[in-house]
Amino acid sequence: MKKVGLIIDKYHLEKKVKEFIVYLKKVCKLSLYVEENYIVDFNEIKFDEDLFFIKGKGDLILTFAKSLELDTDIPVINSSKGIWLAYNRFLNSSLLRSVGINVPNFSLNPIDDAPPFQNFIVKNVRDQDNYAFNPKINTKKGSIEVRDKRALSEVYGNEALYNFFYYQEYIESEFEYKVYGIGENLYFFKQIPVLQNPDKMKSRVAIKPITEIGEITYKVMELFNLKITSLDFLKSKENRYYLTDVNSTPNFNYLKNGPEIVGNYLLSQAKK
Amino acid sequence: METIYYLKQKSDATMKIGILSKRKTGFTEKMDSYYKDKGHDVTIYTEDKLMVNSSLFHNDFYILKSKKLLFLYAGYFLHLNNIPVIPDPITSYKHKHRIEAYYSIRNCGLNTPIIYMGTTDCIKNQKDYIGFPFIVKPLMSSGSKGLRIIKSVEDLDYDPNKILYIEKFIKGTHYLAYIIDDQICVGEKQPFSDEHTKIKPINLENDIKNALMIWKKQYNLLFGHLDFIREDKTSKLIIVDPGTFPEFSNWKSGNNYVAKICNLILKRYEEIKG
Repeated sequence: MKKVGLIIDKYHLEKKVKEFIVYLKKVCKLSLYVEENYIVDFNEIKFDEDLFFIKGKGDLILTFAKSLELDTDIPVINSSKGIWLAYNRFLNSSLLRSVGINVPNFSLNPIDDAPPFQNFIVKNVRDQDNYAFNPKINTKKGSIEVRDKRALSEVYGNEALYNFFYYQEYIESEFEYKVYGIGENLYFFKQIPVLQNPDKMKSRVAIKPITEIGEITYKVMELFNLKITSLDFLKSKENRYYLTDVNSTPNFNYLKNGPEIVGNYLLSQAKK
Repeated sequence: METIYYLKQKSDATMKIGILSKRKTGFTEKMDSYYKDKGHDVTIYTEDKLMVNSSLFHNDFYILKSKKLLFLYAGYFLHLNNIPVIPDPITSYKHKHRIEAYYSIRNCGLNTPIIYMGTTDCIKNQKDYIGFPFIVKPLMSSGSKGLRIIKSVEDLDYDPNKILYIEKFIKGTHYLAYIIDDQICVGEKQPFSDEHTKIKPINLENDIKNALMIWKKQYNLLFGHLDFIREDKTSKLIIVDPGTFPEFSNWKSGNNYVAKICNLILKRYEEIKG
């Protein structure tokens, strides 16, 4: 039996992977490395797993993944680079645009500056914690201003991290399109945008593949070295798709047989 | 005809230089003066004035003086948009991030401290395995900023779930070593003092020189600094902190270092532009 290491934080362990773990225990030897209970000894990176799966994006998880990539030949899914890029919104927007992928206009601005766009969303600079998008919406004189409360607390909270905001131009779209990528397989959905209906699953439906966003998804997976991901797109009035979010720890419970699909894919990528 | 010729000459000679810096004083001010004296246009971007978007594209190149997050973002953004940034922003990030720096040092075959990461609670549970004393450092930091020496469990008064980066304490002699091109300046420093605290110049030892030359070559650096500790027990030379753009407050090897650095940067810009 192959041996799989699952590097995970307590939040994902308790809330997101129950079925997945049940499935993995049937098909492989599973070892758990929980961020809150594990010490990484960088001088002793020696493991006998055939694959590591990363479910989390905290600093310890990320540096542990990095050390496995550099000190062993064990496959690591997703890569530390992919996870890092996915949660660093400004970096991934910059990189995506530089290779010609359509993303909404974006800017980093000092907190006291006027917003750079008429319609905008202020998002958290680094989407590293396990909190959901929590928008504060303000519509005035035909413009839309959305501020994620997490972004505001990063600047105005007790432990302020930054004195600048990450702005993304707001794209009005009838639907939000979500693509899950698991290896070569893509799964397409659409839903009412979260800003209009926060209960995203209520309106989510599976749709036929859309070639354009499928091609973008493959390109992003290669560019970021992400083997398992979910991407969010909006479609403008001009029928252009905009990539708005890259997720390195997608909730695959929303896919039919998601835990089995992911588990089988991981085993196909294991060393032995 | 003459007017056109004059304008062309001026545009060839005059550079638009942006400096990404947390302050306008110190070495940034010296570079600003030097380049302005040579006829270049210089703009200093401090955090409160910096918008990271296409408005930055009008400069010919940027100098990444500071490695605070916003400046690193700006550097990465400019780099992706083919605007030269010196020193290289990716290398600067890697030398600022403790784990990336650890692997960068190891990658050169040089000695690193013994390091761990874990939550406060977890480190308390593993205290016998790690052993006191050790040092807690911020994951993204350079120099002695934010470090604490932990001598007992009582000192570990952080949030129990906070993830800490720790280094085993090394008992030994501390050195600050600068390199500018092929010139080196080394001195003994007070343990955990910052770059500005006066150092005691020493004769250059071979292993320090070799480490600096290897480091500079491996990462294609024009200049920089390394903090070393010579371990008492083993005499091993261990790199505890690299930096891509120090203030050179303790530089003792000649007065022309500002000109030298400014010219190295211009030369690198020409190389990048081909």
